[in-house]
Amino acid sequence: MLEEHIFDLIPAYALEALDAEEAQKAAHHLEHCPACQEELDAYRLVVVDLALASPQHFPPLPLKERLLKQVRQPALQNSPGLLQQLWQRVPRLSPLWSLASLVLILVLASSNLFFWQQSRQNQPKLRSISLTSTDAAPNATGMLVVSIDGEHGTLVVDGLPALDNSQQYQLWLIEDGKRTSGGVFSVDPEGYGFLWVDSPRPLSSYQGFGITIEPFGGSPGPTGNKVLGGQS
Amino acid sequence: MSVGSNLTLVIIVPMDYTKFDDPTLLRLVTRQDENALGALYDRFSRLVYSMALNVVNDEAAAEEITQDVFLNVWKKASSYDVSHAKVVTWIASIARHRAIDILRARSVRPVNQEFSWEEEPLLEIASPLDVEKEAELHQRQQKVRLALTKLPQDQRKVMALAYFGGYSHSEMAKMLNEPIGTVKTRLRLAMQKLRQFLDEERIQESGSSV
Repeated sequence: MLEEHIFDLIPAYALEALDAEEAQKAAHHLEHCPACQEELDAYRLVVVDLALASPQHFPPLPLKERLLKQVRQPALQNSPGLLQQLWQRVPRLSPLWSLASLVLILVLASSNLFFWQQSRQNQPKLRSISLTSTDAAPNATGMLVVSIDGEHGTLVVDGLPALDNSQQYQLWLIEDGKRTSGGVFSVDPEGYGFLWVDSPRPLSSYQGFGITIEPFGGSPGPTGNKVLGGQS
Repeated sequence: MSVGSNLTLVIIVPMDYTKFDDPTLLRLVTRQDENALGALYDRFSRLVYSMALNVVNDEAAAEEITQDVFLNVWKKASSYDVSHAKVVTWIASIARHRAIDILRARSVRPVNQEFSWEEEPLLEIASPLDVEKEAELHQRQQKVRLALTKLPQDQRKVMALAYFGGYSHSEMAKMLNEPIGTVKTRLRLAMQKLRQFLDEERIQESGSSV
């Protein structure tokens, strides 16, 4: 016999107003009942509204930094950080040459970024271009972040389907209908990927951007399904 | 990236996390992106801290709760399914649960304290850049307060006791000297009416069905 729904208890459960025994029974039921869980989500939204209608207070400023310091502790880090992920993407040369080239890239990038920032102290620094998903990848999101002078950019995507080893995603820079490759990239099993955009000309000269599925290593022109696109 | 005569220097450009929606930020948190956690903190810390402070009435405890909530988000982001409820709902429910836990762990709780939404100060605007967001928030506040005024007095009373005081059904029944069944019904009806009113407001705002 199926357990009955507990709709009558849900509003008080959302408010944490059930007595202990009823709360325990409700929690157990909710683990297995999508209908009651959906009700709970709706009533939790009411609790959010009640919170918004209550007096609002700003937390003390140092609290954020205290939080981030705690997060940086080794015990709370359990997956590769960005540098490790970058290292994983460096082409496999001999270990010493790989290390030397990565160090060189980081040193040059840091000094260039320093001078770039110095020359642009008082100007807005970044422009972002949202990319819209297509039917080929309806859950995908993407953003191209471009420096205001259009010279540099980084692409970040999420929610793209993982491809097999024979394929990669390719970024296209579109100007007057002509497509130029901005680079190729892969995504991790959860669909996240990023690309430092390699452009022969300033990114600000392109009117649009698109991402398609291509053979591994890329194609001279788009051949596969478009997954993301946006206008400059 | 190419080498030799065609060396192209690529710059790491800082991301503007304020452009990402909540589910995207949460997905970035699952990849240990602390900037994404920082962005979620910027977006929701006032809500969380306010929820905590309005219940526990103690700034140090409210700070501790706020920190716990976002640490929880950091540790459990990968287990949260953004397709079944909004991120703000999840974060707020963690905050509510933690605040009530702390309140109930206290050996002495206020008995005669007056709880009400009715005489609350207006929001302080966080910064000139947030004026539009603050205006939307203020509008939402007004709608919720309007919805609360439409409740009968006895339902509003149990709502305030439950929300601000963290009292359970049996505790409220004892305080009000009412049968527990009566208290349960009042609270359930109050929440149902609020939900109905606020859902209708959302439909009107969005112009589409829920």
